[in-house]
Amino acid sequence: MLVPIFTLKLNHKINPRMVAIGKYDGIHPCLTAATQAGKVFIHNPHTRGQRPAAHRLSQSTQDSDISLLNINQAVSCLTAGTLGPNTTGHTLLVGSQTNLLAYDVHDNTDVFYKEVTDGANAIVLGKLGDIQSTLAIIGGNCALQGFDYEGNDQFWTVTGDNVRSLVLCDFTADGKNELLVGSDDFDIRVFKEDELVSEIAENETVTSLCHMHGSRFGYALANGTVGVYDRTARYWRIKSKNHAMSIHAFDLNADGVVELITGWSNGKIDARSDRTGEVIFKDNFSSSVAGVVEGDYRMDGQIQLICTSVEGEVRGYLPASKDMKGNLMDASVEQDLIRELSQRKQNLMLELRNYEDNSKALPGVSEGEFKMGVIPANTQLQTALSVRRATEIQRAHIELNISTPNETIIRAVLIFAEGIFEGESHVVHPCAQNLSGCVRVPIIPPKDIPVDLHIKAFVGGKTSTQFHVFEITRQLPRFSMYDLSVDSSATEPTGKVTFNINDRPQRVVMWLNQNFLLPEGIDSPDITFTALREGGLLRINMQHSGEITLRTDDIDLAGDLVQSLASFLAIEDLQAEADFPVYFKELRTTLTEVDDFHSVHQKLTAAMADHSNYVRNMLVQAEDARLMGDWRNMKKRYIELYDLNRDLINEYKIRSNNHNALLARLKSVNQAIQRAGRLRVGKPKTQVITACRDAIKNNNINALFKIMRAGTTSS
Amino acid sequence: MELNLNHVDYLQVGVTSQKTMKLLPSVGRKATQKVAVADHDGVVTCFGMKKGEAVPVFKSLPGQKISRLELGGALGTPQEKIFVSSGSEVRGYTKKGKQFLTFEANLTESINAMHVSGADLFVCASYIYNHYCDCKDQDYYLSGDKINDVLCLPVETVGRIVPILACQDRVLRVLQGSDLQYDVEVPGPPTVLELLNRDGGKGGEEVLYGTADGKLGLVRITKSGPITSWELDNEKKKGGVLCIDSFDIAGDGVKDILVGRDDGTVEVYSLDGSNEPALRFENVLSESVTSIQGGCVGKEMYDEVLTTTYTGWVSGLTTEPQQMVAGPGDEIKMSRETQGKVSALRAELEQLQVKVLQGREKYQQSSQSSTAVSAVPVFSINDKFTLCQDDASYSLTLEVQTAIDNLLLQSDVPIDLLDVDKNSAVVSFSECDSESNGNFLLATYRCQANTTRLELKVRSIEGQYGTLQAYVTPRLQPKTCQVRQYQIKPLSLHQRTHSIDQERPANTLRLTGQFSFAEIHSWVVFCLPEVPEKTPAGDSITFYFQNTFLGTQLEATYCKGEANFKSDNISTISILKDVLSKEATKRKINLNISYEVNEDSVSHTLRMIHPKLEYQLILAKKVQLIDALKELQVHEGNADFLIPEYRSILDESAQLLEEYKKQPAHLERLYGMITDLFIDKFKFKGQNVKTKVSQLLAILNNYELDSLMDFFSEA
Repeated sequence: MLVPIFTLKLNHKINPRMVAIGKYDGIHPCLTAATQAGKVFIHNPHTRGQRPAAHRLSQSTQDSDISLLNINQAVSCLTAGTLGPNTTGHTLLVGSQTNLLAYDVHDNTDVFYKEVTDGANAIVLGKLGDIQSTLAIIGGNCALQGFDYEGNDQFWTVTGDNVRSLVLCDFTADGKNELLVGSDDFDIRVFKEDELVSEIAENETVTSLCHMHGSRFGYALANGTVGVYDRTARYWRIKSKNHAMSIHAFDLNADGVVELITGWSNGKIDARSDRTGEVIFKDNFSSSVAGVVEGDYRMDGQIQLICTSVEGEVRGYLPASKDMKGNLMDASVEQDLIRELSQRKQNLMLELRNYEDNSKALPGVSEGEFKMGVIPANTQLQTALSVRRATEIQRAHIELNISTPNETIIRAVLIFAEGIFEGESHVVHPCAQNLSGCVRVPIIPPKDIPVDLHIKAFVGGKTSTQFHVFEITRQLPRFSMYDLSVDSSATEPTGKVTFNINDRPQRVVMWLNQNFLLPEGIDSPDITFTALREGGLLRINMQHSGEITLRTDDIDLAGDLVQSLASFLAIEDLQAEADFPVYFKELRTTLTEVDDFHSVHQKLTAAMADHSNYVRNMLVQAEDARLMGDWRNMKKRYIELYDLNRDLINEYKIRSNNHNALLARLKSVNQAIQRAGRLRVGKPKTQVITACRDAIKNNNINALFKIMRAGTTSS
Repeated sequence: MELNLNHVDYLQVGVTSQKTMKLLPSVGRKATQKVAVADHDGVVTCFGMKKGEAVPVFKSLPGQKISRLELGGALGTPQEKIFVSSGSEVRGYTKKGKQFLTFEANLTESINAMHVSGADLFVCASYIYNHYCDCKDQDYYLSGDKINDVLCLPVETVGRIVPILACQDRVLRVLQGSDLQYDVEVPGPPTVLELLNRDGGKGGEEVLYGTADGKLGLVRITKSGPITSWELDNEKKKGGVLCIDSFDIAGDGVKDILVGRDDGTVEVYSLDGSNEPALRFENVLSESVTSIQGGCVGKEMYDEVLTTTYTGWVSGLTTEPQQMVAGPGDEIKMSRETQGKVSALRAELEQLQVKVLQGREKYQQSSQSSTAVSAVPVFSINDKFTLCQDDASYSLTLEVQTAIDNLLLQSDVPIDLLDVDKNSAVVSFSECDSESNGNFLLATYRCQANTTRLELKVRSIEGQYGTLQAYVTPRLQPKTCQVRQYQIKPLSLHQRTHSIDQERPANTLRLTGQFSFAEIHSWVVFCLPEVPEKTPAGDSITFYFQNTFLGTQLEATYCKGEANFKSDNISTISILKDVLSKEATKRKINLNISYEVNEDSVSHTLRMIHPKLEYQLILAKKVQLIDALKELQVHEGNADFLIPEYRSILDESAQLLEEYKKQPAHLERLYGMITDLFIDKFKFKGQNVKTKVSQLLAILNNYELDSLMDFFSEA
């Protein structure tokens, strides 16, 4: 059994996922974590009490080993590491929703302090692609930004949604790091510098990523899933009812391969084999785990795994020594093996008994057999998927029809599927009077994603207490919420995207049949659908020259179609022309709104400064009055001060509303760029994103729309 | 002294009932003892351990499910004859396995408890107790509620036959011949009885009991009446007690008390100087512990605690120190015994696999035939649905022989599902279509591998009644699922008590009409939990109940043609009135309902709620402050500047949070009950005050007892 080699109680709360270890003087590792009240604490047990308090840094009065760093803003991420080329110690990087601070703890100076409008939800430090200098890369609202040690903006790109997690990893095995980005739209995206090379769809917000080794990386989702990918292939995953707070790669059993260490919200820590996900070690904290890091905290040349809880408890574990033979758990292996074998034996015996008793059962039903849920042996479950348009009582949906061929009934249907239901399952349980051999399940996928439906149907008699469970898996195609029938009164879509491919129309037909729910299948690539979610039309048209036109007002749908078709036909680079008048008009309004909010923001800041001056004056006057014993005046001043304070609070509220509105607009601008990119594939895509960004930087709105339409920079 | 016991598995038999494993007395000194265990397949297995391997002495043929196993023999000789009860039959085996007795007790129901003492045999079916001497009928008794266990004080020491019945209605019934001598009130429904030190102590009169809600006690059954020695509360909310034994496992010359519970907990208590029990050792198995015995089985000289679990695992907790065993990767170090065991098991598994494959094929083939049926035998589920007194919620535990794959919970009344820490299954709530199909709760639990036992918590609302259904699907081919139903009764939060406070102001409800005793009894059963289903003997009956949440009480007295209900809580009376009149209408029975409302009772109930409500409000307020205070503390460096009240909040923050977490939604529930009280009070006056509820909630938000009382009396 592996036990912690040291345990500390720090008496400071630790914000989840904001823990790092830095050697700020180049020698001594210090545990650094964000805590309440916009502070960061640095635990340095190595140089006791030598540090003078100055600038941002102040010594904690409770514990001499801890220094506190005042950020004065809610910290949203932090990390530590070597940033500059000629520095001895590590630099501490602290991100908030508005700023990024690079701080030299040893010299107690700011390295740089940058305003970042998109916020910093996640941060990673390291080398990316061919960029020479080490970058601090932050992920915010749909944007990624990389700064070098001078605070120069060296890298910028946009991504589909708010960034939650970042990691650097040599994904393509070319010797250079790629950036892996986990975001709110459930995707893990891989950027080779600013080119998007790969996209992995998950089914929840990707909260943590960590590099294991080579091209292998671990991930954690907001629904309690953790797992390991090697490039785009998932090795394993497990799901728990708790949430994974922090994941880290560490070789705990000293076998030369790192394990995935997960810290859970219920305080559990476990280490899992990177190949199988088998638990090789676990331990428990009394409160939720905040972060898992590693470092040589005892300064004896051995790297420890260091786990921290939100209540400030810290435990360090040394990798297992050789004589433990990788057996880190308490239980004896022999016992477990025998128990497992006996369990299997028991299971087989039970299964065998089931078959034996079954063969004894003869046709001819008695009362007792009703309870057992006897069904004809040739009962087979039929399933069918069809698209249903909206009616007065029901929204548009996909209908899954499950039926039995004989007099047996379906007591309940459980469907396990990812990403289309609120939880992971959907249940249909008709009431006792409505039992029949046919169940219709309406399904409304919220997004265009391909889904595997794992169906479990309980089949038996009306009065049975035991049922047969039929398990069937059906696949829902990616674009299933599109109906072939077209309402003649529907307005023609104004938006379109046009591109050329060098492939036969048959291949496009094949793609259509695979990705749409078509009852009979089709043989021509010219087709029109009604989008059931938004209600607009989708027209797909292909000419003999290979020119494909997609007409829809939904730019996201157009992007999805282009990406899906391109990956089906294995197209690496695809240039396209696009026009979405409705969407572009909205974007234009948004851009002007951004300007408005900016100017309001500046005005409010000026007003705030004025008010603070008043406060100062008023306070001096009030205190003067108090010292003079002029109670009437003092009272008056303080009442005024109170009013002023109230005004300030109100103003703050306005300011914060304004700020939130601004952020929302900025996010949609970033999304617009991303959407424009998604209409193209490969190089043209990167070009569009870079060009759009330049256009925004230069505040050249007309150029921006030109790029979005034409897809090229050349005017 | 710390007790150190190591877990060893010996053997797996079929599913076992409570108290079905005994250790045969050893032959000669210090030799290992043989184990006799009986299971649901009707098989009695007797085995001994030789060099770490289970060597069978005999094994009987399969038959009906065995409910009890006891040892017996002529008084004064070693008790080594094995008696088992199965169905309505008692069988006796010698220690060599020769069947020497088959005795048909001629009961209409099957035996569920049995005790053997010399030539005396005591058996109990659900409500009936029978005493036979030399297989001749002696005495007979009909109990008022279900009998869970039976015991007889040792005749040698006491000198007369004193049978004791453990009955579900929270009493131990002490008999004399065919008559009741006296009742012993115990704090919960007793599930198991055992003599202290296996001989009843010095006077032979000391009896240990365990209850379904996990309490433990010692009582002296003297000639004149009971004397309670001690009672042990179940503060840690462990499972119900299933088995008890006395054995000196600590080796200090004093016999310890061994306890097995239905949540898998095994405990060892030792009696200290003042004869009070103190917990010495605790271990948690994954399944409920059905039998427990102290003795020497695995190796000479080493005593151990032997347990059997629900799924039939016989395992020991031995004092034998465990050698460090090698991990996977070098199996050479595995002891030769285990190696032999493993290879034997592997061979057996292979054979089984072949057989199972054949079975599977045959089963598949039968699905081609149009006449064959598929009938999978019913698998056994061990379930328990009990009201927890402390938090006024129901706990549902389900245990299956093999691993559970998933569980579907469906309810036709609104109930809340609470999270249980022990439960690792991933829960997912599905959308409910309460209008068309009457579903108010649809939730699936997807279990982790090897989960054989599931624990859930459910919170009900008084007045809303219906059925909770659980569909259990184990991981066993061919896949089947079984449904279990649990009634949520109208007065679901009430619990039986022995007496009530007659001083309290009471509201009464009086029913008269043309109904029989059986009819009115069935209505009471329908309304209230813990009432025996069988109509009580005699002409009239009185039951006492207590509301576990509020502490209010209810007295129900009824006979043919008349029923009286008395409660200090007006809501209780209102619910009863509604349900009973509905039931009577259903059966077309004319009821005269009259009621008497005591105005004082409302303020009395409010006063009873007051301390709870005040406590919760203060707690909520304190918890709200914790974070802010902590922040101040960090900011200022210490907490010295705070007023003592705030400082104490900071000091107690951990306990406060714990307390707060323990009682989720407690305040909301209290508010709900006060609102019900308000509505019900005026309902009896014929006024509808639903419009005033918002005013009431406003008062509750700024709670003060007086203003609330005023509002109640004014409105």
